[in-house]
Amino acid sequence: MRSLDKELLLDLLVVQSTQPMSDDENIELQRLLKEYPEYNNYEFDEIASLAHMSYHLNDKRIHDKLPSDIKSKILNSQKKIDSLSFYKIKINDLMRSLFYKPAYAWAITVLLTIGLSFSMIEFKNYENNFKYLPLKRGVLQLTSNDLIEYPWYSKESDFALAKGDIVWSNKSQKGFIKISGMPINDPLQKQYQIWIIDPIKYKQPVDGGVFNIKIVGKDIIIPINPKLPISNAKGFAITIEQPGGVVVSSQNLILTAPEVRPESTFTL
Amino acid sequence: MTKGKKIKKIEDSILFSLAREETGAFEKLVDQYGNLIWSIARRYLSNQTEAEDAVQEVFIAIWKSAGRFDPTKASEVTFVSMIARRRLIDHLRKIYRHKNLEPIDDCFDDDALETKSILDKSADVQIISEAINQFAEEDKQLLSLSIYQGYSHSEISKLMNIPLGTVKTKIRRNLIQLRETFDQDQNTVVSIHNA
Repeated sequence: MRSLDKELLLDLLVVQSTQPMSDDENIELQRLLKEYPEYNNYEFDEIASLAHMSYHLNDKRIHDKLPSDIKSKILNSQKKIDSLSFYKIKINDLMRSLFYKPAYAWAITVLLTIGLSFSMIEFKNYENNFKYLPLKRGVLQLTSNDLIEYPWYSKESDFALAKGDIVWSNKSQKGFIKISGMPINDPLQKQYQIWIIDPIKYKQPVDGGVFNIKIVGKDIIIPINPKLPISNAKGFAITIEQPGGVVVSSQNLILTAPEVRPESTFTL
Repeated sequence: MTKGKKIKKIEDSILFSLAREETGAFEKLVDQYGNLIWSIARRYLSNQTEAEDAVQEVFIAIWKSAGRFDPTKASEVTFVSMIARRRLIDHLRKIYRHKNLEPIDDCFDDDALETKSILDKSADVQIISEAINQFAEEDKQLLSLSIYQGYSHSEISKLMNIPLGTVKTKIRRNLIQLRETFDQDQNTVVSIHNA
């Protein structure tokens, strides 16, 4: 039994290094990695990269030059990100210097406490209150010590432009979706429905509420509203359903936000 | 799973300059690896627009990860190509469609030769090239379709009319074999250095 598991683990590690994984494969891989801690998530990445370069070296057809307009785009995008980081550092420095002066520190603390108290009162009714969602999302991010944050991946080409992420706290049973690039829906015909995957507790994904897209081109924030208590969210998904949503979906997933491999991780 | 140590001067590395935030380091990175990453993205993804987006993401990811580069674990070109591959796979996952390769022209020019030269100089790539050359033709083709051309295992199964299980087993076996050859060679290098 154990050797079969190991075979499966090796297969999944190869899949991980060679092609996009499905959500189910990801979940299975993470389970097996816990059983075999001597292996790591990126076991075959190095050798697959070297093999890739080897094939590339021997391919006589495609060794073309990076077009100059794309090179300029790359350099400009790096400059933009770099300058943003510069301002962040400056703001941090400013905050640090403010907090060296006790009077300022007390004043800011009192103001923040008052502001936070008001936002927490709003937050308790957040399901029906769409005001201040960015602030509420920020509060959840700042106050949760079990926060998870996953990016969205599109599962259908119509939603390839959709971007964003989810934040969720199991302890607080609260979370928010941030998303842009979704097509507008007619709420009388169909609605987007959120699903929470909690495989340890539920066989079926849990309904996380429905929402509509009324504008395009802007990030929108939507509160997740679970219909059942969530013990350990492993992923999130969005489907298109009839108005009001359904209890169990038979529709295709259009977007998923799985647990495995957040964008920022590279274990080299 | 143990790996041999690579002995290189980190000071010569562009990634080291990037990590130290030296002026012009990012541009040097793009100059050095731009053609290589552009070429592999064009081959791996299905069209030019997708390759454009992916290449931008790759360079930003390399820039952000430069501080993690450790020349005792991997060469610079290996580090760069690992990040590039990971980003390309992520990109493929995002677009989640596959795979109408546009015709690829033969387009060797002087810059292209420079790209080849980066890989030619990489001892690691040479070791793997030699090892792949020892494989049976079918195994070479399977690895090429999977690793180089970005086909999924089930697509390869259909393309080559081989059962899916066999495709998986062969790719896994070949990668393990390549890694063993590579590790053996690295350990030999360490032994020579330590002698």
